[in-house]
Amino acid sequence: MYVRKVFAIALLLSLFAAACGGAPAENAVVRIGWAGSPDTLNPGMAVLAEAYTIYELVYDSIYDLNLDGTFSLSLAESAEVSDDHLVWTFKIRDDVVFHDGQPLTAEDIAFSIGLYQNTEDYPWMGDYTDYFASYEATENNELVITLTDPIPNIESQLVFLYVLPKHIWESEDPAEFTNLEMIGSGPFKMVEYSQGEFVHLAANKDHFATPPKVDEVVFQTFENLDALVQAVKTGQVDMITEMPATAVAALQAEENMEVIVGAPFAPVVTDIIFNQCLPENCPAEDGICTGHPALLDRNVRLALAHATDKQKIIDVIFLGSASPGTTLIPDGLGVWYNDSLTDYAYDLTLANQILDDAGYLDTDSDGVREMPDGSLPLTFRVNWPSDSVDGPRLAELLSELWSDVGVDLELQAMDPDTLTSACCPAFDFDIILWGWGSDPDPSLLLSVMTTEEIPTGSSETGYSNPTYDALYVQQGTEPDFETRKDLVWQMQEIVHEDVVYVIPYYDPSIQAYRTDRFTGWVIDQPKLELSDPTSLVVIEPVE
Amino acid sequence: MPPPIFLNKEPMLNRYRFLLKKIGWSILTIIFVIILNFFLFRVLPGDPARAGVHDPRLDRETIEALRVRYGLDKPVINCFESLNPIKLGSCWINPADTQFFIYVRNLLLGEFGTSYAYKIPVANMLVGRLWNTLLLIGVGQVLAIVLGVILGILAAWKARTAIDYTALLSSLLAWSLPTFWLGIILLFWGSSHGLPIGGKATAGTSSWPLMQQGVDILRHMFLPTLTYTIIFLGEYMLIMRSSLLEVLSEDYILTAKAKGLNTFQILKDHALKNAMLPLVTVIAINLGFTVAGAVQIETVFSWPGLGGAIFNAVGQRDFPVLQGVFFLVAISVIFANLVADLMYSYLDPRVRSE
Repeated sequence: MYVRKVFAIALLLSLFAAACGGAPAENAVVRIGWAGSPDTLNPGMAVLAEAYTIYELVYDSIYDLNLDGTFSLSLAESAEVSDDHLVWTFKIRDDVVFHDGQPLTAEDIAFSIGLYQNTEDYPWMGDYTDYFASYEATENNELVITLTDPIPNIESQLVFLYVLPKHIWESEDPAEFTNLEMIGSGPFKMVEYSQGEFVHLAANKDHFATPPKVDEVVFQTFENLDALVQAVKTGQVDMITEMPATAVAALQAEENMEVIVGAPFAPVVTDIIFNQCLPENCPAEDGICTGHPALLDRNVRLALAHATDKQKIIDVIFLGSASPGTTLIPDGLGVWYNDSLTDYAYDLTLANQILDDAGYLDTDSDGVREMPDGSLPLTFRVNWPSDSVDGPRLAELLSELWSDVGVDLELQAMDPDTLTSACCPAFDFDIILWGWGSDPDPSLLLSVMTTEEIPTGSSETGYSNPTYDALYVQQGTEPDFETRKDLVWQMQEIVHEDVVYVIPYYDPSIQAYRTDRFTGWVIDQPKLELSDPTSLVVIEPVE
Repeated sequence: MPPPIFLNKEPMLNRYRFLLKKIGWSILTIIFVIILNFFLFRVLPGDPARAGVHDPRLDRETIEALRVRYGLDKPVINCFESLNPIKLGSCWINPADTQFFIYVRNLLLGEFGTSYAYKIPVANMLVGRLWNTLLLIGVGQVLAIVLGVILGILAAWKARTAIDYTALLSSLLAWSLPTFWLGIILLFWGSSHGLPIGGKATAGTSSWPLMQQGVDILRHMFLPTLTYTIIFLGEYMLIMRSSLLEVLSEDYILTAKAKGLNTFQILKDHALKNAMLPLVTVIAINLGFTVAGAVQIETVFSWPGLGGAIFNAVGQRDFPVLQGVFFLVAISVIFANLVADLMYSYLDPRVRSE
């Protein structure tokens, strides 16, 4: 009996000691809270942004994407292009090693590109290699890429082609491989990954360019945003990668806390889509084309643009912390974003005037205008995907705002799949509230407004303008950066002039960090991403 | 007129027949669940191959490759190519080459398919989460049962006193609290007292000594378990109280009192066994559903259990994961009901003869 009691006391004591002991590590560990988790560590199969955040830290590629939207060489020392802009030669650095000690050579890069190009199961990595006719490693540790077309944006094709170690991947099924060891060459190496719980990384102090100053980084998943905010507030994490706009003011008032709002690393845009598909453009195969005829009229779209109080929308949905949008090309695209456009001012008198002048009058005095021939009231169906958080609020606000100019809205959330089949290429809708995420290159978003994409389902508006189409083709082969930029800016002018969309806002990225833990976070760039290597390799513990 | 020798055997026979009937029904229900679980997700709108990837850039070859990978290129079942949209197909194909047959076969082999979102076998994904859920819910249920029963007895024995009213009121309150709200309140309270509010352990602690890891998990468990206990405590206490009150008003309790037995003896030997009956039913049914985890609690505290998996899978339209979880839940509910039935028949012989 006595012995047992002693044992119990000893057990209790040791429990107590363990509880008080805390973490044995003296390492500088950055704890980051986020609301997601990578879907897979296999770069070819990944879909979620969280996976790419980890790849950026663990892998290197030929180029790095900077926070102002430009690119800089990373694995390559130099890049040379032939006069016809078809052959690129990259001299690969000789001092790069993978986390397992094996050297990284041009051979690994060529192998990785081949993997991305030839694995059919990869949802979109292959798209980045569409223009690559061949890619070979030379004895001189050079990579020679031959293109099928003289594309202007080889940087944005290469920036997400993470370089994988050939000696590991060549014996694996590229689609099935779970890649839990995740051997890369980047500034951080994988320690442990627990799906849906955390990602534990350690610094690669031997990195050729940017060895981190901290020792470890831990990403921890919080399933709900209130917990995430509470975690940074109480110091359980040092930084959070996202938070609701509703918590900004409260968190800002905390001591040792910095809340930052900026353009997101991956550009996001919310759009109000007008179905303006002309009968002659209605897709022969899938088109249903039931759009309201009034929306084909630029005057109506212009009036709706003038009747949209973007500041009010931003104040309600983001409590003021977002920027009003102009065209589909968001500010998150950095240099490609045309910041010289003047937005249509919120002006009800002008909006009403435009509709009056164009003949849309309220002939039966029910508060809703009719078509000039009196046939149809200006009653539009408005749909949004049911999984959208901001959709219902945006719809309610528009209904309220546009009723001031005699336009009536029928609001209806829709299952995302049902909405897709109503949207495009069926064009079986009037107005849809949706959004886009984009590559660092503007081509994808620009293509959405071309005539060519109407039957494919990529064009949501059915907008068709031969001048715009021609410019799109031209910018896609223009090798000179400045000239291409001018073309891209000009295209934004055209679609702004034609009121193809009303863009209520560009979704902001809202992040917060504790100032009493680490210092040196990069916050003075056009884009904001504290979990990007840009920040994580330079931050240091506060003394 | 039956020969008298059979009279002794009849209760035994009845008991087996009862048992067999119950097990038979359970098996039938499981078969029904398996079939429903398959067709439920086939009649839903949307292309499962696109479900994991919402991107218009996805080209036809990639979609085709994904369909082959998930076995969606095969006909759903004989005579039907697909169910949404309904497309008829040949009835004379080998049934072994249909999605339905492959699904049933895999299920019998313990395979639940591959998660669309995470590209790993659903079974691997769910096993770890199942243990996390059982840990959280198991501890929560035991605490709720023990405390609920004790409080219920106390309230019933001290009926219509201040103790009773306090217990009654707080139980009613606890039972009617929205789980999510209580969780958030406790999360705010706990985090400002240094308690962890996310996950089941501190990340990167797998190299710590076992004892320290255990303490770390206990600290992470504290808030979700507390929430869970409070939510269920009220229900158990209320049921225990009312059922005990009913039993205590019976004549044989009066007889027991008249015999001069003390409070403890009356409760222990005469009242409790009978009063436990309704509680057993409720606990058994609750236990069946525990496998589904407490979706709300696991979401509030980012507890990596099955409830969290359901929450995420619904958002990502990850049908194989939902299918797997639904199957587990159905099995455990059916099993728990079976156990409840059998226990009931043991505790209350009247049930058997029905």
